[in-house]
Amino acid sequence: MTTITYPLSRIEGHARVVIDVYDNEVFRADFQAMEMRGFSHYVRGVPAEQITVIVPRICGVCSTAHQVASVKALEDVFDITPPPLANDIREVLLLGQLIQNQATSLFIFTMPDRTNASSLFELSQSEAGKAREFSLAQMALKIRKIGTDLISLAGGQFIHPIKTVIGGVSSGIKREKADQMILTIQELLPVATELVDIYWEMSMEMGDRIGSWGDDEPTHYLASTEANNYRLNSQRLRVMQPDGTEAPSFDPHDFEAYLQIAESEYSYAGVSSYMGQILRANSLARINLTESLGTPRADAYLRRFVQTFGKPAHAIMFFDLCRGIELVYALEKAQQMLECDLEHGETEVGYAPKDGTGFGLVEAPRGPLIHRYEVENGLIKTADFVIPTVHNMLAIRRALMVAAKRYVGPEGINAELERAVGRVVRAFDPCIACATK
Amino acid sequence: METSKDLPKFAVLQLSGCSGCEVSLLNSDEWISNFQLVYMPLVVTSNKIPDDVEVLLVTGGVRTDEDIHNLRKGRSRTKKLIAVGTCALSGGVAQFKGNHIARESFLKASHRLRMPDMLPNAYPIDRFVDVDLYLPGCPPTPQLFMTALKDPENAKIAAIVCQECGRQKLNDMRPTSITGPRSGVVLPDICLVNQGYICVGTSTRGGCGALCTRPGHACVGCRGPANPYLNKEPKFVLDNLRRVFARMTDIPAEEIDAVLESPWLSLFLGQFTDYTQEADLPLRTKEKML
Ligand code: SF4
Ligand code: SF4
Repeated sequence: MTTITYPLSRIEGHARVVIDVYDNEVFRADFQAMEMRGFSHYVRGVPAEQITVIVPRICGVCSTAHQVASVKALEDVFDITPPPLANDIREVLLLGQLIQNQATSLFIFTMPDRTNASSLFELSQSEAGKAREFSLAQMALKIRKIGTDLISLAGGQFIHPIKTVIGGVSSGIKREKADQMILTIQELLPVATELVDIYWEMSMEMGDRIGSWGDDEPTHYLASTEANNYRLNSQRLRVMQPDGTEAPSFDPHDFEAYLQIAESEYSYAGVSSYMGQILRANSLARINLTESLGTPRADAYLRRFVQTFGKPAHAIMFFDLCRGIELVYALEKAQQMLECDLEHGETEVGYAPKDGTGFGLVEAPRGPLIHRYEVENGLIKTADFVIPTVHNMLAIRRALMVAAKRYVGPEGINAELERAVGRVVRAFDPCIACATK
Repeated sequence: METSKDLPKFAVLQLSGCSGCEVSLLNSDEWISNFQLVYMPLVVTSNKIPDDVEVLLVTGGVRTDEDIHNLRKGRSRTKKLIAVGTCALSGGVAQFKGNHIARESFLKASHRLRMPDMLPNAYPIDRFVDVDLYLPGCPPTPQLFMTALKDPENAKIAAIVCQECGRQKLNDMRPTSITGPRSGVVLPDICLVNQGYICVGTSTRGGCGALCTRPGHACVGCRGPANPYLNKEPKFVLDNLRRVFARMTDIPAEEIDAVLESPWLSLFLGQFTDYTQEADLPLRTKEKML
């Protein structure tokens, strides 16, 4: 038996793909997390009210989602509801996170795969990159930075936000700051759509070249955005079945009745399933579960996507295209929200800490994220983090199996397999720091 | 035009961390035209650090046997090695720091078949290799990254966060209880300590541009204690903070102590001092601190 190991780059954290081949037949394809962050252990015994400062450090890529989920979980324990203005500011914060994350995944992680470059910077310097009148790399980083700036504006710090507090947010967003941000978005939105178009075009060419979009069987899809309201500061989890019909939605408090999470023997990340079935979260899941995004440009992209690929769409590389749609949506939506008054009005409510168990849900860039805390004597007794990347683990393995079978045959192992493995894993944009909580 | 091939080479080695330091570096695009990034698994596909790297930035703490191996290999391939972020300097949030419930729970769960072995704790990188420069911050700002890459010798770093904060300390505004995190409205331009917030900017090294305090959030000390408290026991920086709060507020000393010793502050206040507990390690001098 031959075991091929591919270390992975251009994803968050340390992971590898291991494929076992015997007599030119693939026996196993596994995606393994090689480190353990272990936050669910570190936070045990920590004063509950401090956990909101500690948990953003689970992951520097999606720290914002963790912070908001954490605050919502404690609000659930303390039995309080933040005022509407606070929810809007949290939404702006989560939109900033979505912009930053989708721009990173699109341009830094996956665009190089479109031309077999080793990085965005190499791509930018290549013939394909130089053909543009601007530097792809610099423009991509500029778009990404809008996300970072929104996180600073609505979150108070650029990586590990601090403004979301138990009971609301610590302050509103000043008109002049909002106006500056609107100007930046207006100026850069056309650049963003151009980059998304370039990305789309490069993806179509890549699809033609390799003769596949990463076809795989349909699965269940999991998201917490609504069909006509893409609110990331979400309330309920929704499931689409493989045939495109929707299963009953559920509350985060009941997640254990629907999602089964287990440890893996050969990986520091666990795996989850939906009633024993493979499921997928992240951009494609949300887009499959969406009727309309509610912003003009993003809806135009959504129509184009559905017309070209159908609904629900299942191929692996569609995750990447859906991130482009979401990038445009998040920019447009952030602008819309900043045009409203986010400065005046009640931003937080007081609270009295108490013991109990609470759940906090947000739609993180990679899918629904739940924090569950059990508080006893004011301290965290147990903490559980239900991580989107973990929901995708079985789907990643199966997609890798499909890719491996495609490139392993009677003639042996095709060198394209290494690239295919990278493309498949990056389409799911896994986050190892989160997945090994 | 100069192509990137002529530019000095730099690399980023990520050990066990959250990628926040990398994300911060990507918030600057200034380095694109000044440096050639030859290795950084988060953004570049390349299997190894080349032999002729000018600067290697190391982020994350040492958490697995594989981290030790990669760190040593990285050290041998670079002229200069910079330790970046709280995790590389202290092990960061992954240290147990006497939390035995956490340690026990973690050690029980941390073994897998044919996977890198988790060490019993998270360690600072200078426990294993020589470090030429330390860049603390959780994460350091993009500007600090640029300073570290370009001209750290001539950098002028504010001694403490207060110098960059711009908030004024008043004599006649003495809070009697702690404001926040439970509630509190922040007044502009006035020192957060006067307003009852536990801001540790008075004892924290500057350089971040008072990123948190200017918009009204108390500094949690992520840049670590200022120069006078380097290589000193934790007591020194804590005593200084106690003095600040006694001088500026009427908040009972026990309440201040409870906050200063809480996990969220001790994570950062202890990031240089925890380390002095290990006597056999080289000293981190102020010349090596950015
Ligand atoms: S103590 Fe904090 S708020 Fe006051 S001046 Fe210093 S950094 Fe600013
Ligand atoms: S103000 Fe304090 S906590 Fe904020 S970045 Fe600066 S040193 Fe870190």
